[in-house]
Amino acid sequence: MKEGFFRPREYHRPNNLQEATWLLSSFGKKARLIAGGTDLLVDKPSEVECLIDVASLDLDYIRRDGDGITIGAATTLDLIERSQMFSAGPYVVLSEAASNMATPTVRNMATIGGNICNASPAADLPLALMVLDSTVKIYGLGGSRVLPIGVFFEDVNRTALNEDELLVEVHIPPSPASTGASFLKLRRHQTAIDLAVVNVAAKLTCSDNFCEDARIALGAVAKRPIYAEKAKRLLTGKGLDGKLIQEAAEVASQETKSIDDVRASAQYRRRMVAVLVERALKLSVTRCGT
Amino acid sequence: MTKRDISICVNGKWYELAVEPYETLLDVLRDRLGHTGTKSGCAKGECGACTVNIDGKAILSCLTLAVQVDGKEILTIEGLHKGAEPHPLQEAFVKQAAVQCGYCTPGMIMNAKALLNHNSNPSEKEVRKTLSSNLCRCTGYERPVKAILEAATIMRGKDER
Repeated sequence: MKEGFFRPREYHRPNNLQEATWLLSSFGKKARLIAGGTDLLVDKPSEVECLIDVASLDLDYIRRDGDGITIGAATTLDLIERSQMFSAGPYVVLSEAASNMATPTVRNMATIGGNICNASPAADLPLALMVLDSTVKIYGLGGSRVLPIGVFFEDVNRTALNEDELLVEVHIPPSPASTGASFLKLRRHQTAIDLAVVNVAAKLTCSDNFCEDARIALGAVAKRPIYAEKAKRLLTGKGLDGKLIQEAAEVASQETKSIDDVRASAQYRRRMVAVLVERALKLSVTRCGT
Repeated sequence: MTKRDISICVNGKWYELAVEPYETLLDVLRDRLGHTGTKSGCAKGECGACTVNIDGKAILSCLTLAVQVDGKEILTIEGLHKGAEPHPLQEAFVKQAAVQCGYCTPGMIMNAKALLNHNSNPSEKEVRKTLSSNLCRCTGYERPVKAILEAATIMRGKDER
């Protein structure tokens, strides 16, 4: 139990991004951002000396404009789950991922930024954001930069953020018409602690069962969330039928780097990736018309 | 810098406190203010025993730092009753015998309170989904579900009058 040793000496609540990034850079590894607290106050890392609260940075918003949907990093999961913006089209994949996470009370507190920046290999929202081709906006001492979310994750709990940087918002571009997406998660029970054994997000753009474009993102099967690139290439530009979808699901399962751990064996994970990808693709096909 | 001055409103009464950055709202409520109605179960966000309401929302006080709620209004189980009259949720929990050891009860009731704040007529499914945030290891969920649905009916009746 590291719990007794979580003793940060300082707490700051900056009012703007410049102040936040200045604090981050001056405290370096000893600083930690806090939003919902549902990861940080469970882990209670002993090395943290300075807490930087994002509450006054005005990062809780969901906006739609001609260029897509933008979500502030401090937006809580319950708002994403209930938002009208994620109730139709391929965007439902994000509310499905949000509502599949933890318990309702945890979702009242946990933020999208926290779920992304914690960079758990089993995180739920990143998969949905990956199939939606999202980008993340990062702010640091040198100003802001934008990255595709797929390259944001580098390793277990490690992201592309430098010490002086923080995640500001996530942007989801518009999807072409007749695009459907879905999120599926395998776990024991939905509680605060049951992480995914395997989680999957899929997105298909197709007309009359001809697949114009595809995305498949896989969680809990590598050191970071990954795209199933080979499966995507197999599907793109072809007429979709049950056999091709099954084949793509098998290919996806071979693209994983699963490990054995307390939740499942690597072999079981690979099997389940094939099952979940097949189901997610079939579900996405049925949603292409909506 | 270590301690930080905060003011928080608990059940309608404002308190000025100096707190360490790592003190949780749960510890402040119980150990500093003596509001022991809010329970400490797992202290890591799994059981829901420490649930309170902040801005009408169900929040886990074990995963909330006291410094984070500076200036906020907090409602705990001790603030539900009106004078000598228990809240309809409290009454329904007693009437339905929804309490066995009782340790999870304050968290369940505060979670139900937050549900009824924005949904005065929840379905049984919605009540069950809400209660998935609260672990009970003795009486189970049948009676709490009945109690919450009964309280919702009573509260709607009172509003209509």
